Amino acid sequence: MAEASLYRIRRLVHAYEGGTALRIDELAVRRASIVGLVGPNGSGKSTLLHLLGFIHAPTDGTILFKGQPAGPFSESVRFTVTLLPQESYLLKRTVWQNVRYGLQLRGHEGGQQDRVREALQWVGLEPDRFLHRKWYALSGGEAQRVALAARLVLRPEVLLLDEPTASVDALSAQRIKEAAMRARKEWGTTLVVASHDRQWLYEVCDNVLHLYRGRIFSNGEENMLFGPWRQRGDGRFETHDSDGASFVVDPPPSPDAVAIFGTDAISVSCERPSREQPCVEATISRLLWDRSTGQVIVSFLAGSRPLSARFSAEDIAEKQLYPGRTVWIGYDPGAFRWVE
Amino acid sequence: MSFLLEGLIKAIHLLLDMDPETYSAVWTTLQVSSGSMAASLLAGIPLGFFLGYHDFRGKRQVRIVVDTLLALPTVFVGLLVYAFLSRQGPLGSMGLLFTVPGIAIGQTILALPIVVALTATAVEGLDRQLQFTLVSLGADRLQLLTGTLWEARFAILAAALTAYGRVMTEVGISMMVGGNIKWHTRTITTAIALETGKGQFGMGIALGLILLAIAFAVNLSVSFLRKRA
Repeated sequence: MAEASLYRIRRLVHAYEGGTALRIDELAVRRASIVGLVGPNGSGKSTLLHLLGFIHAPTDGTILFKGQPAGPFSESVRFTVTLLPQESYLLKRTVWQNVRYGLQLRGHEGGQQDRVREALQWVGLEPDRFLHRKWYALSGGEAQRVALAARLVLRPEVLLLDEPTASVDALSAQRIKEAAMRARKEWGTTLVVASHDRQWLYEVCDNVLHLYRGRIFSNGEENMLFGPWRQRGDGRFETHDSDGASFVVDPPPSPDAVAIFGTDAISVSCERPSREQPCVEATISRLLWDRSTGQVIVSFLAGSRPLSARFSAEDIAEKQLYPGRTVWIGYDPGAFRWVE
Repeated sequence: MSFLLEGLIKAIHLLLDMDPETYSAVWTTLQVSSGSMAASLLAGIPLGFFLGYHDFRGKRQVRIVVDTLLALPTVFVGLLVYAFLSRQGPLGSMGLLFTVPGIAIGQTILALPIVVALTATAVEGLDRQLQFTLVSLGADRLQLLTGTLWEARFAILAAALTAYGRVMTEVGISMMVGGNIKWHTRTITTAIALETGKGQFGMGIALGLILLAIAFAVNLSVSFLRKRA
C-alpha cells in the first residue's frame, strides 16, 4: 500500500550558529495537499521549507519522503521536489536558458521549447516577448514569475513556495497564485506555502501551520500576546500597547514570555461584559472563510494587537459581525499557554 | 635618447624579417605560459571553489596563507624550484632543471595562489540564493560546482587574466630554473634582460613589443568571449 504521507518528520531539530532555529516533534504532509505556513519573521518558516526541499540536512532527526529517509542530493528527491526561495535568483542568462535549466540537468532534451513556452504562459508571461530577454531586463515581479516558471517546467511532485508574493506587484502575485493552484489541479502537486497573506492561505490550504520561535503551535491561527508584562497591585500582570489596550493575565513565567491562546478561548459581544470579566475593546478588521472547516475567521484589532476567533456563518449573521464594527472581547486570564 | 629610437627601428626589422632568435623566445614563452596556465587553472579553480564555497575549521587561516602567497617573489619561487629540481634535490632524478617543463612548474606555483584566491573571492561574492536555486532545480554535486563556476565566470576570467599577466612578465623563475639557454629555454623576459645587459636595445624592444602584443591579443579574445557570454 502506498504511503499516505508524502513527508513524515520525526524529532527534527535544526540549528544555526545563533541557536536552534526549528524544533518539530512530529509532522506529516499528505500527498497532493496544500499546507500553509504562517508566523512572524524568524519563526522558522524558511528553515522548514529548506529542510522539506532537502537544501540542507537537519541538525538532528529524520525526514522521510515517501516512507524513505532522504537528504540533499538524494536521487529520490532531486527531480521531484523543488523550492522557490523568497528572493528568487535568476542565472545570468536569458529567460529561455533560465527556464530550461532544470530540464537540462535532468537530461530532457526533447520538447524543451514547448514545455518552456507552456510554463511561461502559466505565469502570465508571453513567450515571444520574454524568451530571449536577459536576466537584468526583467522587473522584480517578472523575475519572480520566471523563477516560478523554471520550477513549473519540471512538473514537480512537490512545490515549496517561500513567500512567493511578498515583494511583487498585484498582477504578478495573482499570476503566481494561479499558476501554483493550477499545478496542484493538473499534476496533483503537493504545495507547501509560507506566506503572510493569510487570506489566501485560508482560502486554498487544507492545513495551516502556525510557527513561532521554531515550533509549530497548531494547525490553526492561535492568538499571541507579547510582553513585557508588568505586575499590578492585585498580583496579576498586564501588558499595554501604545493605543491603550491592555490585557491582564496570571503571573507569566518571565516578563518577556509570550501568551498563546486559541481562537475558542475568547468570547465576543457587542455590549461591554460585567466589570469582573476581563475584556478588551476591539474593532473587526476582516472576515476570512476557511475552506477546510467552512467556518469564518474573524480578525480583530485590539489597539494595535491582532486577534482572531472562529465562528460559524450563522453566528456571524446573528451577531452582525462585519469589518469596522466595535466589539468587546472577553478572555480567561488563566487560560493562556506560555512560551519563553 | 637616440638609442631608443634606433632600438625601435631595429625591433620593427627583427619582427618583419621573422628573426629566428626572436621567434624562438616567443615560442618558448608561449609554451611555458600555456602549460603553467593550464595547470594552475585546472588545479586552482576547484581549489578556489572549495575555499570560497565551503565553511570548514581553519578556513580563515588557509585564506590568510593563500592571500600571502599572492605576493610570492619570483626569485624565491625560482630558488625553491631550483633546489627541488637540481641534482641533489628530491626531484633531481626527473631531469627537469633547465627545461621548459621545469619553468612551467615554477610558473604554476606562481599562478596557483592567484587563481585560488581570486576564484574563492568570486565564489564568496555570489548570492547565497544561487546554491538554493541550483540544488532545488535538481543539480547534483558536480552540476552544483559547474553551475556555480559558470555564474562566476567573469570574475574567474579576470582571475585567469591576472595570473596570465604575472606568468608572462616574470623573469626570476625563467632565469633560475630555465637557465636562459638560447634556442631552448630562453623566454621573452629573460631575453630582454640579457639583451639589455649587452646593450642590444633593438632586440629588447622588439621582444617587449611582442609581449605587449600577446597581452593585447589575449585581452581582446577575453573581451570577445565576455560579449558572447
